Amino acid sequence: MFPGVDGFHWTFAHVIFLAIFFAVGMTIVATTVLALWRAHRDVKMRRVDQLRWHAEFEDLPEAERTCRHELAGRLEHRTCPNAFACGTCPEYSTYAALPTDAPEYTFGMDYPPNRLYHRGHSWVREDEDGLVTVGLDDLASRLVGKPDAVVLPEKGQWLEANGTGWRLRKNGCEVRVMAPIAGEVAETGSAAEGWYLKLRVPPEMRQWRHLLRGGEVPGWLLRELERLQLQLAPEGSAPSLADGGMLVDGLMDQMPEADWDNVMGGTFLQS
Amino acid sequence: MASTTMIDRRYIARGVERTGTARFAMWLAPWVLLLGIGLYAAYLCLYYGLNQTNMDNRFAFGLWIFLDLSIIALGAGAFFTGFLVYLMKMKELKAVLNSAVVLGFICYSGAMLVLAIDVGQPARAWFTFWHPNTHSMLTEVTFCISCYLVVLSLEYIPMLLKNRQLKKAPSFLAFEHQLHILVPVLAAVGTLLSFFHQGSLGGLYGVLRGRPFAFREGFSIWPTTFFLFILSAIAVGPSFLALTTRLVEKITGKALIPDSVYQRLGLISGLLLALYVAAKSIDTLVWLNVTSPAVGFAPWEHYSYGQFGIWLMAAEIGLFGLVPAGLLLWPRTRAQRGWLLTAAALACCGVLLNRFILTVQTLALPTLAFDEFMTYTPNWQEVATFGLVVAYGVILYSLSYRYLPLFPQEKELAGAVTEEGTHVSGR
Repeated sequence: MFPGVDGFHWTFAHVIFLAIFFAVGMTIVATTVLALWRAHRDVKMRRVDQLRWHAEFEDLPEAERTCRHELAGRLEHRTCPNAFACGTCPEYSTYAALPTDAPEYTFGMDYPPNRLYHRGHSWVREDEDGLVTVGLDDLASRLVGKPDAVVLPEKGQWLEANGTGWRLRKNGCEVRVMAPIAGEVAETGSAAEGWYLKLRVPPEMRQWRHLLRGGEVPGWLLRELERLQLQLAPEGSAPSLADGGMLVDGLMDQMPEADWDNVMGGTFLQS
Repeated sequence: MASTTMIDRRYIARGVERTGTARFAMWLAPWVLLLGIGLYAAYLCLYYGLNQTNMDNRFAFGLWIFLDLSIIALGAGAFFTGFLVYLMKMKELKAVLNSAVVLGFICYSGAMLVLAIDVGQPARAWFTFWHPNTHSMLTEVTFCISCYLVVLSLEYIPMLLKNRQLKKAPSFLAFEHQLHILVPVLAAVGTLLSFFHQGSLGGLYGVLRGRPFAFREGFSIWPTTFFLFILSAIAVGPSFLALTTRLVEKITGKALIPDSVYQRLGLISGLLLALYVAAKSIDTLVWLNVTSPAVGFAPWEHYSYGQFGIWLMAAEIGLFGLVPAGLLLWPRTRAQRGWLLTAAALACCGVLLNRFILTVQTLALPTLAFDEFMTYTPNWQEVATFGLVVAYGVILYSLSYRYLPLFPQEKELAGAVTEEGTHVSGR
């Protein structure tokens, strides 16, 4: 094994064999140490939120990674390869110039056009006082109804886009609502107030191309309602077309027997 | 709909359905019992020694070494799938990669467990590294298997850290991410290690000049059995993966991988099996006509004892080699799930038979004038230890399937619609 230890001889075969063995051993050790060091660096530099989002995105089924341009009817089919980071998508401008062909209604739900929407069902609105208000969108609010508990970030805390915005608990299900944008928490609200956070966002960070808007919203909602219908359908039932009607308030309370853990995961993009 | 009670629901990934906790515990119970019996047998062997087994000076290799060789060959799907995904860029096989890693980990750790019982004195296991006999094929096997088990553990860790609760910890999430990035390095190292230890396990028999039944000429220091073991292992690895995945699908009532992945596994297995059968046939012909006569044995003498007739050779090469290779290569039979799985099962049986012949038949045949033909039957301690490894494998795989993302396309396939028009659902 080593010079001087019983069994070792300075022969060509011994040296080659042990050199290969030690090279393999060193590679394994170096790989492990490198992974540990880089993980430590990620934690220290607060990159974990981004890593978590990328991991969640990779776990999303292809149907839930639909490109915004497909939602808006600009393209027939396109799956997002870029974790919904439209700001860095090289194809964005090309497709954004195409005409939209999407439904204009929002299925009886309240999606004001002056807000931008995150796929994790939160919304963003720029206020006149320079702050940015963040809330839970109508579909998610109708599902959850009145939450049992809400854990909000502290004032002054910095939030990363796609990181944890706040946490909701309802009927034993706990979910992380993703922060739709990055910013410093200036105020916190509640479900009753219709918003959860007011953020202070530096001007250079007000690039929110990743958020849905205008004609993209109805197409996204349609798919979300279809997903919801499939997830809430009784086991073994055949797929059926939506027959109209509006989503009731507090669906979690109305259908306590449903697999809400799964539904909430799909709604808030968490596996 | 969530219909069964699951007290461990928060440890199970969202979007996948698993059976109720009580039912899962009932599934595990008989395996835990088998594990317990096996542990007792292992204790007897470790405490009192190998006199607790039916092995002796003639049959120093028995059921355990047959088990070792077999599970290491079947576990080759782990390194070979990693090689195909990360080095050959066959992204489609990512659907079974995690399962392959778990199977590989079970096979190799199971093999190490049995070797520790067989060799005995596990506290002195480090001797083999500190005082290696570099003239022995077994030294290379020991080194490579030990290193590869570490590699498999490192490949298993990211999967473990993707558990729903574990991934909440920021440091675990970051470590999982970074290990995942470096996995191609591990896949390359795993391929190198597996290539050598699969080969050396075969070479171990090929260099036995005193055993004309196993002895083979070869290339440089490597007898032909070195290359045949590698080829047979990578040929059956994908077949074993297809079989185990289908078994899990049957037990759970769910679709876990798309049909195209079965087809791809079948094609790869078929191509390599055809190559193996060709190489094995040539090797056998050379051995029958040149190698065996050269050491003073008429080749058919080897097949004139007890049950070890010529039918074994015919079965190994024909029924368990040529037939499955043909079934897997012919597009029409490969396209039919039943034929594909039958062929995969035959291929796996073929590698088991090959390892059995080399381990048991080699030792059973007389080689000297005063030798007699001997047979060997394992006793309950050996069988129970065999059962220990099987039970350990089933339990670890069941737990991994329940709590870890073994099949990344499971969610998508759960939303697919069957031919009958109902949603695929399961337990």
